[in-house]
Amino acid sequence: MLTEEKNVVKKENSRYPSLLGDISDAPKQLYYKGTWNLELFDTCLAVVGTRRMTSYGKRMTEDIVSKVARAGITIVSGFMYGIDAVAHKAAVSAGGKTIAVMPCGIDIVHPEYQADLYQEILDTGGLVLSEYEGTHPPANWTFPRRNRIVAGLSQATLVVEAGEGSGALITANLAKKYGRKVFAVPNPLTSAVSQGVTQLLREGATVVGGAEDILQYYGLRDRVPKLSLGAPKLSLGTGVQDELEQNIVEQLEKQSLHVDELARRLEVLPAKLGAAISMLQLEGYIKEEQGRYYVN
Amino acid sequence: MLFKVQSIANSGMEALGVDIEVSVSSRGLPGFDIVGLPDKAVQESKERVRAAIGNSKIEFPQRKITVNLAPADIPKEGSLYDLPIAVGIMASVLQYEIPKDSLFLGELSLDGTLRHTKGAVLMALFAKEQGFCNVFVPAESANEAAIVQGVNVYGIENLEQIASFLLGNQKIKKVAYSAPLLTGAADAEFDMAEVLGQETAKRAIEIAAAGGHNILMIGSPGSGKTMLARALAGILPKLNEEESLEVTKLYSIAGNIPPRGSLITARPFRAPHHSVSLIGLIGGGQKPQPGEVSLAHRGVLFLDEFNEFPRSVLESLRQPVEDGMLTIARSRQRVTYPCRFMLVASCNPCPCGYLTHPKKACVCTPREVKKYKKRASGPLLDRIDLHIEVPEVDIQEFQDNQKASLSKESSFAMRERIEKVRKMQEVRFAGEPIHANAEMKNSHIKKYSLLSKEAEQILSRAALLYQLSARSFMKMIKIARTIADLAGAEHIEKSHMAEALQYRPKAYEFD
Repeated sequence: MLTEEKNVVKKENSRYPSLLGDISDAPKQLYYKGTWNLELFDTCLAVVGTRRMTSYGKRMTEDIVSKVARAGITIVSGFMYGIDAVAHKAAVSAGGKTIAVMPCGIDIVHPEYQADLYQEILDTGGLVLSEYEGTHPPANWTFPRRNRIVAGLSQATLVVEAGEGSGALITANLAKKYGRKVFAVPNPLTSAVSQGVTQLLREGATVVGGAEDILQYYGLRDRVPKLSLGAPKLSLGTGVQDELEQNIVEQLEKQSLHVDELARRLEVLPAKLGAAISMLQLEGYIKEEQGRYYVN
Repeated sequence: MLFKVQSIANSGMEALGVDIEVSVSSRGLPGFDIVGLPDKAVQESKERVRAAIGNSKIEFPQRKITVNLAPADIPKEGSLYDLPIAVGIMASVLQYEIPKDSLFLGELSLDGTLRHTKGAVLMALFAKEQGFCNVFVPAESANEAAIVQGVNVYGIENLEQIASFLLGNQKIKKVAYSAPLLTGAADAEFDMAEVLGQETAKRAIEIAAAGGHNILMIGSPGSGKTMLARALAGILPKLNEEESLEVTKLYSIAGNIPPRGSLITARPFRAPHHSVSLIGLIGGGQKPQPGEVSLAHRGVLFLDEFNEFPRSVLESLRQPVEDGMLTIARSRQRVTYPCRFMLVASCNPCPCGYLTHPKKACVCTPREVKKYKKRASGPLLDRIDLHIEVPEVDIQEFQDNQKASLSKESSFAMRERIEKVRKMQEVRFAGEPIHANAEMKNSHIKKYSLLSKEAEQILSRAALLYQLSARSFMKMIKIARTIADLAGAEHIEKSHMAEALQYRPKAYEFD
């Protein structure tokens, strides 16, 4: 069809992203949805990770991606649920650009329940790419093939969380093979999705302590004000007058806690604590995710 | 010769007088027929009555016997007519007078003894209403009937005994009226003090019990949801006399009162397995029987593994949860059973159960989680006031540190407080058809739940932030009302409303 012919960029074409063209097994053509804008490919960061992310992984992805995307770096990922989807989402909501590389034909959305996100990516000037045409179904072998495009498009790859044998490790190893930088977010060793990351760190991946480390690599250090990771910007006395509320914030600054743990630490009955937590939530100081509370 | 004995038939919670007319005629071939829409059990009573009379050393008349159960157009069911039929037939042989102001009920054994029969309370209540002086019931069912004051209850052991009583040869001691001893809640399997940690969940359960609110507990396997629900049985307030009678009546109709059992004094705690059928839960059958929802009347209906119940079964709960009564309509009859229960539901956060687990990884895809959650519909979940998360408890923490658990209050102490709050509610709703905060409709909320200005501000802010539905909005006020009651406050203050917000339904998915 005519429209399909339009939405494809061959490897010989000058519009083909040069960074991707450098890799040995670059795809012959890229099908796409959205508006092809070569500037999109200038600075790209691949963000990959496990499908079974923890709330820690989600928070770290959101935090780093939103800052990096805001600085103008395009976030590339694989549109899978888990870290991939969170990375796309964070980029979109930070007002940044993002590229989703699909493991299936360009005309299908996989997984289809993320159709909303798919649309958002396109609406915000992002791109959806695939090397497969039409309605080619996703298969076991298309996922690792897809990963080479994710790694190939980007100057660096960030791995947030990855279990043993995770697809994110394939992407990271490809990035290494192509001579690109690999960043890894340190994980608690107790986490089931930390082994892959630990392995990468052992093999020489660069530890990421926050979005600044990545921005520095891209030479964008100056473009954003120094932001500290999740550190509370709470000036006691302005909003939080209550002593209990202060204590809660102090505890949560150290680590995320379940409300029961908080109750035990502060030795406050849940009735009173619940009220204080509600107030802090309404004020926007803390937030809750899967039963645990975080300082915002 | 014609003899008339009186008994009852029940249609749902309503009883209806039934005349058992026994005609013993010397003309015609010997035989035994029962007419008047008898069901199988009533038909079979022919054989039981014949054998029981024979085995009681009383001659069975070799005549044409016709038994009519009047009114003839109402279906009669069950084995309760054995005794009245036998009394009628024996009258033709023994020539005694059948007392006019008496009701009879009882199933016969072939040897002439009487067995425990359901419906004794219902008959005693009917006797009192309609001015009958005596009720004759099986001895094993007599305690059940004796809770009705102002009616002479005779517990009959066997046919010989009743025959000689009616002949005036022997006296039967009346079963004394026993004022119902309201012992309160059943002995729960667990005491609240035994539940380690779970401070928030315990608090939520206390609120639920105090205001009669429905509650949903979400947590990974083994986190203690079932234990908490079982412990809940121990903190429920006592039944009052009226409630107790209602519950006993229902149980008597369903045949759930054990032999020699009396009044039901503890709040029912029903925990049907998730394989329960729609009829089993709601009630029904050809002759509509009360289902689990009605058997949980004035008590708790605990649905463990909430999401494993068939969707049609779950959705059928919507109307009973809202209305507190249920009309079962069948082609032949329709009956209404009360079902004012507290719904306690528990479920896992996802199919594998470990979505919110701090250590174990969840292996479910977002789609599976979504599908799992969809099994209970929004409208149903919307009718559950309190939503809480029951976290995994680190046993190690409690073994290392005995003081770690904050709330070690016993069920007894909690119950005292809850009873006080329930009394407050009774006084508050004295002129209304409701008993507890959870039953408040919007008009009641406006009238009885005055919010302080600050509380109102918090609520409207939360409504915006959490996008509360109109129903959730009202629910928050209801919960806050109960929290304020527990605190002994007349009006709902800021802190009460803030705490109530903790029990709103939360999203547990990754977005």
